[in-house]
Order: sequence, then C-alpha cells, then structure tokens
Amino acid sequence: MNFPLGIWDISLLLAITAIILLVTSEMLSPYYGRISIQINRKHLKNAALTTSTLFLATVAIRIISIIIGL
Amino acid sequence: MKTASFTKRISTALIATGSAALAFSVIYTSQILAFIGLGLLFWGIITRYITTEEYVKRVLLKSTSQSALQILNETLTELNYNGKAVYLPPRYQANLEASRICITKNENATLPTPEQTQKETKTITSNPEWLLLTPPGNELVQLFEKTLNTSFTKIEFNYLKQNLPKVLVEELEIAEDIKIENTDNLISINIENTAYADFYKEPPLRNNIGSPLSSAIACAIAKATGKPVTIRKDQTTPDQKTIQTEYELQQ
Repeated sequence: MNFPLGIWDISLLLAITAIILLVTSEMLSPYYGRISIQINRKHLKNAALTTSTLFLATVAIRIISIIIGL
Repeated sequence: MKTASFTKRISTALIATGSAALAFSVIYTSQILAFIGLGLLFWGIITRYITTEEYVKRVLLKSTSQSALQILNETLTELNYNGKAVYLPPRYQANLEASRICITKNENATLPTPEQTQKETKTITSNPEWLLLTPPGNELVQLFEKTLNTSFTKIEFNYLKQNLPKVLVEELEIAEDIKIENTDNLISINIENTAYADFYKEPPLRNNIGSPLSSAIACAIAKATGKPVTIRKDQTTPDQKTIQTEYELQQ
C-alpha cells in the first residue's frame, strides 16, 4: 500500500495547475474589465501564487538532489 | 446566494470523489487513480476557496440608499438653504477623522472659521445661519481608509491620486477605470463603468452635495489636501458609462 506518485508526478500536476490558475487570475483581473464574475480574485491570486511556489519548491528539491548526487 | 450554495455542493462533491479516488489509488497502487484523485481534490479545495458569498445584486445599492438621499434633498428644500455644500477638512472638525459638510443659508455667505465649526455640535445654527451635516459618502470614505489601512488625514494628495484607483478598481471593484487630473485648485475625476452610475438616473442632490461616490471622494480630497472642497460638476456621459466630476479646492 504505497502512494503511487513520485515527486516528479506531483511537480507536473502542480505545474499544470499553477499555469491554469495564473492565467485565469490574470484574465479575471479588474483591469481587463471582468468585474462581473463573482469570485474572490484575491483568493484566486493567492491560490495561483501558492501553487506556483510549491511547483518551484519541487524543482528546487530536484536541483539540490542532482547537485548532491554529483 | 443560490449560486454560492450550488458551488459549495460542487466543491463538496469534488473533494469527496477526489479523496475516494486517492484512497483507492493507494489500495490498488494505481497512478491514474492518484492523478485523478489529486486533481479532483485540488480543484474541489480551490473552488471552495475562491467562491465568495459577499456579493449582492447591484440594483440593491440604489434601492437601499435612495430614500435617505431623497429625505436629505427634501429637508434641504424645506429649509431653503441655498449655499453650495463645502466639504470641510480636518482642521474644521473637533474629531479629525470625521467628515462634515457645511451649507450656508445664502449662496454668497462666507464659510465659518475652523474655530466656529470645531465648537459647533448642532446640525443647524441660527447665527450665522449654516448647516453642518454628515455627507452621504461618509461611510464610503471610511471604507476606503480601512481598505488602504491608513487615514487620509495623514497622507498627501499624491498618495490619494496613486491609491484611489487601486481601492476603487482592484480592491472594492466598484469601477472599471478611474482617471484623475489635477491643476492648482481643480481636480477632475472620470470614473468608468461604476455601479454608482445608477444614482445619476435620479435628479441630483441639492446644493452640489454629489452622489455617494462623488461625496466620498470629496471627503477624501478634503482630508488629504486639508482644504475645503466643493463639487463643481457631477454628471454622467449620455451613455451613463462614465461619471465626470470636478472638485474645486477653496483657499
């Protein structure tokens, strides 16, 4: 009973999700006139930034593991 | 509110299905189930996190405040005060954070001195004859200050010029764009596509008090510049998309 995903699988999932959230958050920015959509833009932006940070963290882990492995 | 509960149900379903898929993925060691589970769980959490229940319909904005504005208009008509409403800066107030407007009985009467208004607690004074009222935008300007986490009495006008678009467009989302231009004693503000444009369908308030939004901005300008402010022009474009307001700073 092992968890079937490795760090790279999760990294890929985070990358895709981060891109979707970042693009959506930018497209719904009030500066583009989309103020009639009823979602909390601040929360969306926070979620997008958190996901991106998590993705970058997985990349950093990978880079460190490569450097240590050398 | 119906939309919010519908979204809540969807997010609950996504979280439940995602958790089940994740559990099965561990039991059967299946990568596909794990991807599906993580994806559903993640989107379920995101959907719940970004939905908000704070929005109300735009039509309620005018419906709830129009009566109060009408009462103010009727009172001013009844009392027959003809001076222009002057938004008083903090030095005219006993409480620095408060906003008040002064309306003189006669159109050409001079503004009271700061010492006179600071001492005055009554709304109507008989000698000399003037009215000291709380403006319709008083609460709104306090909301602007709360949103910016500052007091307009402590800032310069340039700070207000830079941050007012942020408050109206980004934070409170009550307008799509705002342009501020200023010369020595005149400040012109154009606000595009705002919910407050509905107020301009009714006859304007007497004595150039302005709509609640214009009034709030006048309060903010009076606080930031430290000068009495009057609203010289407050109107919408014929398509009712842009509010054009001109504020005049008194010496």
